[in-house]
Amino acid sequence: MLQLDDRRFNRLALLALASGFALVLIAFGLIIATSIANQRAADWVQHTYGVTEELAQFKLAMERAETATRGYLLAPDPRRLRTFRENSAQVLPRLARVHALTRDNPQQQEALRLLMPKVRDQLALDADMMARSERGELVAARSEFVRRVKVRQIEQIRILARAMHQEELRLLAERQILEARRRSQLQWLLAIAGTLLLLLGGATYWLVRRYTDDLTQARDRLHLLNTDLESQVQLRTADLTRANEEIQRFAYIVSHDLRSPLVNVLGFTAELEAADQAIGQLIDRAEAEAPQLITAEVRHAREDLPEAIGFIRSSTQKMDRLINAILKLSRQGRRTLNREPLAMKLLLDDIAATLEQRLKDAGAALTIDPQVPDLENDRLAVEQIFSNLLENAIKYLQPGRPGRIEVRGSLTGDRVLYEVEDNGRGIDPADHERVFDLFRRAGRQDQPGEGIGLAHARALVHRLGGKIELHSTLGEGTTFRLQLLRRLSDGGGAD
Amino acid sequence: MNDQRPVNIVMIEDDEGHARLIEKNIRRAGISNALCHFLNGSDALGYLFDHPDGPGRNGPALVLLDLNLPDMSGTDILARIKGDEQLRRTPVVVLTTTDDKQEIQRCYDLGANVYITKPVNYESFADAIRQLGLFLAVMQVPDAEA
Repeated sequence: MLQLDDRRFNRLALLALASGFALVLIAFGLIIATSIANQRAADWVQHTYGVTEELAQFKLAMERAETATRGYLLAPDPRRLRTFRENSAQVLPRLARVHALTRDNPQQQEALRLLMPKVRDQLALDADMMARSERGELVAARSEFVRRVKVRQIEQIRILARAMHQEELRLLAERQILEARRRSQLQWLLAIAGTLLLLLGGATYWLVRRYTDDLTQARDRLHLLNTDLESQVQLRTADLTRANEEIQRFAYIVSHDLRSPLVNVLGFTAELEAADQAIGQLIDRAEAEAPQLITAEVRHAREDLPEAIGFIRSSTQKMDRLINAILKLSRQGRRTLNREPLAMKLLLDDIAATLEQRLKDAGAALTIDPQVPDLENDRLAVEQIFSNLLENAIKYLQPGRPGRIEVRGSLTGDRVLYEVEDNGRGIDPADHERVFDLFRRAGRQDQPGEGIGLAHARALVHRLGGKIELHSTLGEGTTFRLQLLRRLSDGGGAD
Repeated sequence: MNDQRPVNIVMIEDDEGHARLIEKNIRRAGISNALCHFLNGSDALGYLFDHPDGPGRNGPALVLLDLNLPDMSGTDILARIKGDEQLRRTPVVVLTTTDDKQEIQRCYDLGANVYITKPVNYESFADAIRQLGLFLAVMQVPDAEA
């Protein structure tokens, strides 16, 4: 649950970071765009200043030319003539520049279209009057001037020029406002982008910090777990070993202490038997010599006593065998295992030799695969396991069918799998697990035994760190599959 | 058997039934020496070391020792006997139910003279005790050092 939340959080954090960076990118794009627009607005303002300047210069030149003309008409002075010429030469180029600069503005162009002929005409007239005055036709020039003043062309030029100037001023104001707006936009954008960057930086720092903390913690935990695991395993192993030892000791003590009273039971039963014989003889004599002494009860006692003693004896003997079995098992658990190389074919042949008579009696044939894999294991334990399995196979053959017992083996990694197969009477599936229990036997109880062999075999196999199981079909045969370590580990087997 | 100083048999055995069976069979073997029976270790040690008739002070003795005692281990008693200057020559026959190899080795290491496992089968048991009796009849027990 925590894991899942973490993962979702990580994904969200990454998403947030990515969108943060995208926002910053967008902000930068906007800043660039706005700054270009701002530049353009500033350029326009500059441009308008230029136009206004040009217009003013034009007006100035125009006025000066006009003033020079008038002055010259009043008092012809060559300096005025020069002033007229200098200024009138400037008028048209300036107007042409204004024309070029206001090409984007139809209104100004229109004004210029009206203005241009008037200016040209005015200048031409002025030049004409100056020429006449120079020629001495001063009176004619003056009358011409008076006529022209009535026409008021110069007034119209002034009005037009002022209109144009005002238009430019209007444009200037407009463009300044636009420029100011653009500038403030840019400032805002810069502020926002800066804040975003700050936030992003903070978030990134926090995330990285969080991840590193998590990593450090995880590493520390892992380290702790590692060292802890080791000690945990050791602790558990020690616990198990102790528990196992306790059970062994318990079994040993119990079976030992049970034996002691058995000695008494059996001992005094024997004494009783001896006494019974003596009394029996006495009764026999009495019956022969004085039959009137013998009552029916005495006669019954004479018969019952040996029977009772017989039952006590056989039961106690059985108990003794069971106790010995427990003792044997517990001793097996206490024995230290010795690893040694075992030539398995030889070992199995030796066991077969000890069973030869029983095989012959049962009419059974035992085949041992000459290729059985060898082991490095505890000799006594392995011998006991196989003799138990083989003895069982001989014991529980199917009557009326020639017995056939086979031992084979194969290697699988560090283990060896042995199979002991017989064609005997088989084991009921319900008993497959039970036959390995102490004092439990399967099928008809027509063979001597206490149900110890397989329990013992299994205890040994487990002690060697191996596994034993059986496959059997009732009436057809049984296969015991036995897995043993090819090389017994140093600490013994399972414990 | 010493003519002048009859050997005392000291039997240390907590099971009275066993004690009775042992005594019966020793007597059946024809051994008539005095037999002192102790049910626990401390009484037995008291007799062995301090009693006027005990082997610590007087006369030769032979100890029949069971290992499973209620108050102490039979091997402790064995160690005490074999570690004592006065008593160490006294023959000790360990007669017990244990047939554990390590236990047997330990007893011989401590100086036990004979180790016999009580057979559960009574015929064998009786037989073993009778043979022990026959053995006692011919063995020479050293005099306690006066």
